[in-house]
Amino acid sequence: MRIKEHPILGTIKKGKKVKYYYNGTEMEGYKGESIAAALHAEGVMVHRYTSKLHKPRGVFCAIGRCTDCVMIVDGKPNIRTCMTLLKEGMYIETQYGISGKEVWQ
Amino acid sequence: MIRYDVIVIGAGPAGLSASIEAAEAGMKVAVFDENTRPGGQLFKQIHKFFGAKEHKAKIRGFRIGEELLAEAEKLQVDVHLNAAVIGIHDFNSIAVVENEQVSFYKAGNLIIATGASENMVPFDGWTLPGVIGAGAAQTMMNLHGVLPGKKVLMVGSGNVGLVVGYQLLQAGVEIAAIIDAAPKIGGYGVHASKVARTGVPFLLSHTILKAEGEEFVTGAAVVEVDSKFQPIKGTEKHFDVDTICMAVGLSPMSQLLRIAGCEMKEMGGLVPACNEYGETSISGIFAAGDVAGIEEASSAMVGGRIAGAASALRDGFIMQGDFEEKYKALKESLNQLRQGMFCKENRGKTDMTATEEGIPLSNSLLEKGYLLEKEIIKFPGVKKKAGVHPIIECTQNIPCNPCQTACKFNCISIGENITALPVVIEDSKCTNCGMCVASCSGQAIFLLNEDSEDGFVSITLPYEFLPYPKKGVKGIALDRSGNRVCEAEIIGLRTAEAFDHTALLTMKVPSEFAMSARFFTL
Ligand SMILES: Cc1cc2nc3c(=O)[nH]c(=O)nc-3n(C[C@H](O)[C@H](O)[C@H](O)COP(=O)(O)OP(=O)(O)OC[C@H]3O[C@@H](n4cnc5c(N)ncnc54)[C@H](O)[C@@H]3O)c2cc1C
Ligand code: SF4
Ligand code: SF4
Ligand code: FES
Repeated sequence: MRIKEHPILGTIKKGKKVKYYYNGTEMEGYKGESIAAALHAEGVMVHRYTSKLHKPRGVFCAIGRCTDCVMIVDGKPNIRTCMTLLKEGMYIETQYGISGKEVWQ
Repeated sequence: MIRYDVIVIGAGPAGLSASIEAAEAGMKVAVFDENTRPGGQLFKQIHKFFGAKEHKAKIRGFRIGEELLAEAEKLQVDVHLNAAVIGIHDFNSIAVVENEQVSFYKAGNLIIATGASENMVPFDGWTLPGVIGAGAAQTMMNLHGVLPGKKVLMVGSGNVGLVVGYQLLQAGVEIAAIIDAAPKIGGYGVHASKVARTGVPFLLSHTILKAEGEEFVTGAAVVEVDSKFQPIKGTEKHFDVDTICMAVGLSPMSQLLRIAGCEMKEMGGLVPACNEYGETSISGIFAAGDVAGIEEASSAMVGGRIAGAASALRDGFIMQGDFEEKYKALKESLNQLRQGMFCKENRGKTDMTATEEGIPLSNSLLEKGYLLEKEIIKFPGVKKKAGVHPIIECTQNIPCNPCQTACKFNCISIGENITALPVVIEDSKCTNCGMCVASCSGQAIFLLNEDSEDGFVSITLPYEFLPYPKKGVKGIALDRSGNRVCEAEIIGLRTAEAFDHTALLTMKVPSEFAMSARFFTL
């Protein structure tokens, strides 16, 4: 869900379209926006599951403070997706505890 | 290690103003901010600000940020972005993380302007995806152009909740309700009214019980609370929402001051104990803006200027006499802002019953977000006059006066004291230029023309939603509470650069609705 025309901000300017992968599925977003914004626009709510209780977490603060939004980005876990900008070809995965697989140690 | 005369931490309104003042005095200044964009809170604020002209009133927040940055850059302030300050050592050097590396800088003076962070109240399901902070909602929609959700429950009726609520509506999001555990709306009445007239209900004395859903928010349960904030059984209500937005207050982000060893005190969170120039218990370390006590951008800018000037005095860049003159003017400006019913001294007061002018306050405004028709006519901004004339529905003593400055035809007066209520001047002649309507930060001014023979009146209102209704379109007029009152026809739509994205919509309604129709919908 993206805003196209805004009464105050006018036409929302966006960077170049980029392709990325979310849990293996190809998706589209824009260069210069955060990973979290791109995912939210596609309706992705859950970014990770906590390690002990397996509870879902998603964007909460959007300014890098709460760490609820961390995911596995290009193989690296614990990346704050609200602070990391989207890039062409990025591989983004839901984080389970600290792993990318739904296996619980 | 690079050395500066002044290092400012935080590039919000306080930090940028401090750096401008210090650089103007000839000091070598650097500003560090952990964000990718300068402006602090400002770059997310798309509404017109309150205050007087010297506080950049009626300018939209993000533009104020741009103006300050341009000024700082012109003065060759070194602005370091993506640069989080993680420590202060030996009273005058800082450790900064830049490009994933830690670097160190030194300065004779440190001005800490790190602002505030959002509070959270835990409740059942509060960690569920879809429960977001008000700041996150703003970042999503105003920076990235992404809708935070389709339907939102707003928790908190302070200015942040009201402003973000309105911005959500502007972005095209529906708001199920704005709730607050307090019995009265915490923010400005004018902010509440512009939300209420679109039909958003306010539920005061209500708290959130639960965020419903397994994987993400699918609904919210709220409950009424008694005077001791205890839930009242049987008053539970459910809302079908996909987002719960939390706007439950801010706390000063004062960790760095604590690390530095400054003496702290408790004032809505830990704040540094400062003298009148913002200097902490450690000589050469200053604090300005929200970190020194939550206030507004307008006062943060003045506080920043004072700290900047004081550091210039401390290092001999300006003379004592010049400083005193400057300080006097800045202090005066600060005093103006620190008056009225929302100032620190009056915050949380529950026994206020009348304005400074002695007009009874509207309980409906405080509890439901809108004034009643019988109340509004008691205010000095509402007068019956021939021809087109302004109706000013601004009924609380807030530090604001763009309406007075906007009218070049002397129809509106507030006077020297900027918290006084706006008065429509009896023997003035309104030219229907519309400047007051577009300049009013609270969207509280309407133009009324009752001089028509056919039993209709025209009402001009500020409109900041898309799409704009076209001339000739017929729709429904809403009253202050958002209730549908009558049919309305759009007979004019004015936009202008001087109106800065506030369109002026003129609708024709039957004369009996002259004092009740205040919004338009299709
Ligand atoms: C929704 C909303 C609406 C508002 N509306 C109005 C209004 O209409 N009128 C008005 O006057 N005010 C308004 N305000 C209040 C105003 O925005 C704040 O009072 C003001 O921004 C405070 O300024 P500041 O410079 O103290 O802090 P901030 O603007 O918060 O800036 C602090 C900066 O410091 C940076 N920082 C923090 N820690 C570090 C660190 N360790 N290292 C590096 N950088 C750091 C942050 O990234 C931030 O950029 C509003 C606020 C909100 C949230
Ligand atoms: S419409 Fe113009 S002339 Fe009339 S009160 Fe407003 S600013 Fe003054
Ligand atoms: S009527 Fe005047 S004082 Fe009141 S909110 Fe509008 S501009 Fe400010
Ligand atoms: S949402 Fe809080 S760190 Fe990203």
